[in-house]
Amino acid sequence: MSDSEIAISDGPKSGGVENKEIVSLNPHAQVCLQQLLRVWLGFERDLSTVPLIRRIDLGTYTVEDHLCFLRNLRQQVIEGSRWITRTASSFDSEHSEIRSAIIQHAMDEHKDYELIEKDYIATGGSIEDIQDMSRNIGSEALHGFLMYRSSRPNPIDLLGAMWIIEGLGEKMATSWAERIQELTGLNDDSTRFMRYHGHNDGDHMQQFYDMLEEVCLTQESVELIVKTAKVVARLYRLQLEEIEYEIR
Amino acid sequence: MSVYITSTGCFLPGPPINCEQVENVLGAVNGQASFLRVQIQKANQIEPRHYAIDENQQTTHSNVEMATNAAEQCLDRAFVARENIGMLAVASTQGDHPAPGMASMVQAELELPTIEIISTHGICSSSTMALKAAWNSLRLEEHESALVVSSELASRLLKKQRYEAATESTFAEKKIDFNTEFLRWMLSDGAGALLLQNKPSPKGLSLRIDWMKGFSHAHAFPTCMSVGSSGRIGETKTWQDYDSYAEAERKGALLLRQDVRLLDNIVRMGVDGYLRLVEEGINKPNEVDHFLCHYSSHHFKNKILEMLEAAGVAIPQERWWTNLYTRGNTGAASMFIMIDEFMRSSDVQIKEGDRILCFVPESGRFNTTYFHLTAVSA
Repeated sequence: MSDSEIAISDGPKSGGVENKEIVSLNPHAQVCLQQLLRVWLGFERDLSTVPLIRRIDLGTYTVEDHLCFLRNLRQQVIEGSRWITRTASSFDSEHSEIRSAIIQHAMDEHKDYELIEKDYIATGGSIEDIQDMSRNIGSEALHGFLMYRSSRPNPIDLLGAMWIIEGLGEKMATSWAERIQELTGLNDDSTRFMRYHGHNDGDHMQQFYDMLEEVCLTQESVELIVKTAKVVARLYRLQLEEIEYEIR
Repeated sequence: MSVYITSTGCFLPGPPINCEQVENVLGAVNGQASFLRVQIQKANQIEPRHYAIDENQQTTHSNVEMATNAAEQCLDRAFVARENIGMLAVASTQGDHPAPGMASMVQAELELPTIEIISTHGICSSSTMALKAAWNSLRLEEHESALVVSSELASRLLKKQRYEAATESTFAEKKIDFNTEFLRWMLSDGAGALLLQNKPSPKGLSLRIDWMKGFSHAHAFPTCMSVGSSGRIGETKTWQDYDSYAEAERKGALLLRQDVRLLDNIVRMGVDGYLRLVEEGINKPNEVDHFLCHYSSHHFKNKILEMLEAAGVAIPQERWWTNLYTRGNTGAASMFIMIDEFMRSSDVQIKEGDRILCFVPESGRFNTTYFHLTAVSA
């Protein structure tokens, strides 16, 4: 295998076991992917320090924690489809391929919040409670940053945001959903969003590599993409940390 | 000041024990064959391994004896008189005595007169800690030579009597307690030794130590591999907090455990450290001729390789070398046992100038260590 070939598969946290495909990446995209992998690994490690997530690791996560998690997640998911569609509209006609991919992505996910609402009710919450929930401080910061970046012309750096958020979708499915059910006695009805999202994100990762190959052509673009990934990782963690304040 | 590994030695106790015989040596708990043995052995793909206990679970070699035997072999192969050794560094997960440090006991057994000693305590990476301490002492020109020994006697923790005595533990309550049983079919015993000097050996190849780095992530993750607590959710007591050691044993606080769900984090953090060293320009994967990676199980080899491939910095499989499958996972001792056999093995040709990357991850609480060697001659 040469330096410009990589084996990819279903997510940023592993090179993958199934459906392994070999794709070529240009040298800048290759370096970008190396750095994104480190941002992801650091993000994933630091998530383990967030009290709510640590309780999943330590086995003390409760039904009340899950309700709180879902209440806080809903706003981020609603806003998620907004910055993704804004990103698509900010690309000019020279980036029509990437624009199509992002529009499709937004289509796939823009009603995901309804799944969260169903999960919330199945967990014992009321629809009014989750719909009345406003954005937490971290969600405000994350949403504000993403809308600002996505409003700029040809915002290729948002690939860094997608990398983190898609990666998290898979992590929810593979590491959290089953464990949450095991700890709380809740069933599949309470973790539909987490499980569906991870399953769906496999295809998104393939698109991600294609987009990276297309837009990451200079050292400057590497730096932009990696920096946005770092900011999103930090603000996403802030959003999860802020859930704790609601619990108190 | 350059420092070189000029001699190596190893000791593996007793005859090689194959998969089918393992339960005869460790003993079937309460006379019942394990439900998990075959599954775990199939995943780790370790064939023969060695134990310092016999089929009646009686200790045949103490940890200090194993360390001493490996050190003696290393010294017998060295071009330096043992009186001239200035420092002894000894690593193990658990010495024969909780106190004093194991280096004191090994020094006495080796009859090495008045030297500086250090005992490092941890799990797999304690070997790298001992090596680094010795390397630094030579770099500071405090000594001209240092003996570094790493020895592991895990089987005393894994024998059937330990589990049978834990009558009020999670192991006694559950039909299958994967976390408590997992390491029973993974670990075995052995010792390795390296001699460091401030000049290469006058004959044959020596290994110059180019750099050593370590990254611990204990601040972020819960404990993953441990002895000393009951393994129950929310339990904060450790073994000496119980009224008696007998009570600690009944409650399962003296059993070796692995939180298997957290294990993937060691692969991720291992790859993270590797990428960090690539980014800093210290690790140059395409210049590495041999990659000695202490993975505890074949299962993890594939996971590591996949992630490195995804990042485009993989070392091709034909440059990986290990003796895990034939010598077992001996924890802290593994890397030294690996280096010793690597230097003598006929299945690999080591040439002057060859570059060797060594990686020792520790799942205990997520410490990852790396060092780089270059083969040189005098």
